[in-house]
Amino acid sequence: MRKFLSVGVSTLAISMIGSAALADGQVYSNFPVTLKNYEGKKKTSVSYTGQIARHALHDSLKKLAGKGNGQPNPELKAKMMSYFAGKDKGRAIVAPATKGPFAVKQKGVDDISGGKNLAGKTYKGTITGMPNNMTGPDLLNFWIDKASSADKGYDLTNGYNYPQLISKFIMGAVFYNQAVDGYLDEYLSAEKKPNDKPYKKGAAYTGKEHAWDEAFGYFGAPAHTLSLTPSQVYQIAKQGSKSKDPKDALGFADFNKDGMVDLKSEMVFAPAYYAAGADKGGKTKYMHTITGAFLDGRKLLAAAKGEKLSDAQRGQLRGYASVIENNWEGTLAEATFKYAGSVYKDMVKLKGMKATDDGYTKTLKNYVKHWGELKGFSLALQTGKKNLGGTASTLNILVGFGPVMPDGQQVVNIDGGGKYVRAGGVTWGNYMKNMLKVQNLLVKDLSVKARANDMTKEMDALTKALGESESAEND
Amino acid sequence: MESLLLDYLDRVGDMFANPQKRVFVGYLASSFVIAAAFFFLTRRLSFPFICKALFDKKVWWSASAKGDYKLLLINQAVMMGLGPRLIGKLAVATLLFESLHVWFDGRVLIWTDAPGWVIAFLFTVTVFLLDDVTKYWLHRILHRWPVLWAFHKVHHTAETLTPFTVLRTHPVEAVLFTLRATLVHAVAIATFLYFFGDRATLIAVLGANAFLFAFNALGSNLRHSHVWLRYGRLVEHVLISPAQHQIHHSIESRHCDRNFGAVLALWDWMGGSLEVAERKRNFALGVAGHRGNRNNLESLYLVPFVESYQSIKHPLRAILGPLTRRGRMPESGRQADILTMGPRPKPSSRP
Repeated sequence: MRKFLSVGVSTLAISMIGSAALADGQVYSNFPVTLKNYEGKKKTSVSYTGQIARHALHDSLKKLAGKGNGQPNPELKAKMMSYFAGKDKGRAIVAPATKGPFAVKQKGVDDISGGKNLAGKTYKGTITGMPNNMTGPDLLNFWIDKASSADKGYDLTNGYNYPQLISKFIMGAVFYNQAVDGYLDEYLSAEKKPNDKPYKKGAAYTGKEHAWDEAFGYFGAPAHTLSLTPSQVYQIAKQGSKSKDPKDALGFADFNKDGMVDLKSEMVFAPAYYAAGADKGGKTKYMHTITGAFLDGRKLLAAAKGEKLSDAQRGQLRGYASVIENNWEGTLAEATFKYAGSVYKDMVKLKGMKATDDGYTKTLKNYVKHWGELKGFSLALQTGKKNLGGTASTLNILVGFGPVMPDGQQVVNIDGGGKYVRAGGVTWGNYMKNMLKVQNLLVKDLSVKARANDMTKEMDALTKALGESESAEND
Repeated sequence: MESLLLDYLDRVGDMFANPQKRVFVGYLASSFVIAAAFFFLTRRLSFPFICKALFDKKVWWSASAKGDYKLLLINQAVMMGLGPRLIGKLAVATLLFESLHVWFDGRVLIWTDAPGWVIAFLFTVTVFLLDDVTKYWLHRILHRWPVLWAFHKVHHTAETLTPFTVLRTHPVEAVLFTLRATLVHAVAIATFLYFFGDRATLIAVLGANAFLFAFNALGSNLRHSHVWLRYGRLVEHVLISPAQHQIHHSIESRHCDRNFGAVLALWDWMGGSLEVAERKRNFALGVAGHRGNRNNLESLYLVPFVESYQSIKHPLRAILGPLTRRGRMPESGRQADILTMGPRPKPSSRP
């Protein structure tokens, strides 16, 4: 009996230590205030609500971009612009919103953080993958204008799905760019936002702590990501589905068990969702690798106890930043790869269909939607810190300014009045070949590993099955 | 340096451990069993005598066999350097697969209701047949074009045959064999995937094409041996027997340029180069005019370049073969050797 009790107590002790370890070491929260001379009341230095507010603005803008009725709609455009470029108060969170038992705690953007927008944080460089030398904000303004007069976000003549184009591009031009080309780059220098001073007057966090937190916020992962599987993260983002009970999704998200999902720390947003999507296949670990590197960096900052970082500490932090950047780039490349495969598959289906066939419009819409995701992600990839050079140029040429439509036409330019210029040229077969080349390019230059929708997977398998060609056997 | 050495040893080991290779230990063992059974049934030899006959030191440690071993070991190092520089199967298959989209303006999937096993069977047979017929044609060209015969001659200067004679190959030939396999496999892979999608799979045994596995397991190594195993006149019009391949190695002018086939005799039958085996072997092996002096490294590696160059000094010779001192135009490089040969050698005795 004594022995039994002893084993029981030991087990309980181990499990308690385990819980504490999870809370202390594996959750991105409750890091203490380390700032010297801080006189406020806050108990933790962790803060990234501005980034979460921008995720809510992004999700809402995407939803609004699919609300058009095919006619010019200044009201809708104004509303979309308020989410993109405005800072006005009272903006409701259109998405993510409560869905059945999956209760979302916040209703308005201001409940997360006030006065935020996306335009101010959008990549200002020229977007070479689209015509007319538009900058990131120019391109989003252009697409928002088009989306406001599109039919539920679709332009089936030119082949555009604006919600997808807007959303996927923002994932690069705002979230990825801000994180890897700002907070994880220049903010890690010795001079900018030092660790022995507050980020801003009166703040509970040091310069470096907050810069690091902001980068984590842009990744959009729940604070307790390391205790979740990619499938669970995926379900949270989907807020359940027909086959997956929303109650389960709530259970995975609701870390503090208050029956609601706090967008500030428990929700999954786009970048983390796509990392989990790639990881679901089991070949990659983007989500845990990125979150783990963020946690390691944050632990290093907490351990610095508000002192200025040494060169060695900053070097270590840059190491974590590099892991985050490379893996984040990997998730964008994986998504680009996946949608090149989807576009290819849609083209196979469309080739065998006539416009009068049942399901033709649905198939065409899928094609246009997938192309929007492909284009959006391929442009997002080009907004990071690295100059992708020849890879980006090739990608842009292969994907083009628009998909080849069943009438053989493709958008090749945008005129001064913002109208699309179409022309024939690339054949259906050649454009399918381009999709295969996109996948090959991403394997060769960006080493994608998850490779969802790999259109030449069987070729690898058959090549291996037939063995090496090299032979000195003589008959 | 250490990793290079390990890579080299790995390659040598792979020859014996990989069922896609002819000298895989399993195939060597099955050939031994077949040869032993053959000797027992035809000559009623006891097991020790069978072993003595099969592992005759005069065969396995002859100057010719030692030449085989030198080539086998050195070629592995040579191909370690050359192999990665040759165009890969995957690259060619990808290029063809992509090009098919352009040629047919899209993707064409045919016979979509056919069961997967039917497509797998078709793919496996196609690869086997394409492999075999292209091996036949390449082999024929190696004999017929003097510029190439100079290199292939290295294989034919073997005067005793062991299973390792299959690797008595000049590196230039090895490159040609590699490119042939690359092209043939790439064509098969690209076209089957394009038209049949992911139903195209290989039926394999121990990782090797099922047909090739059967061929190798049923005594393919006896074709390079002194075991005179015939299949009979009828079967030898379809399958190349070990005895038929030994005829291919004959020094006799009457056997010149016969039996080029690897597995199937059909190609020789159709190409007019078929020779069925007689009851007894009554010929020597090797190349006329080159007996007994072709097993040193210089002869195995360098002389072929000189002879090949000599054959292309005059463009007409390169295409039609050299004019001989007898003023006759031979059809092939090998015939040229026979027409210029010295005294005819005595036939070797059967083991």
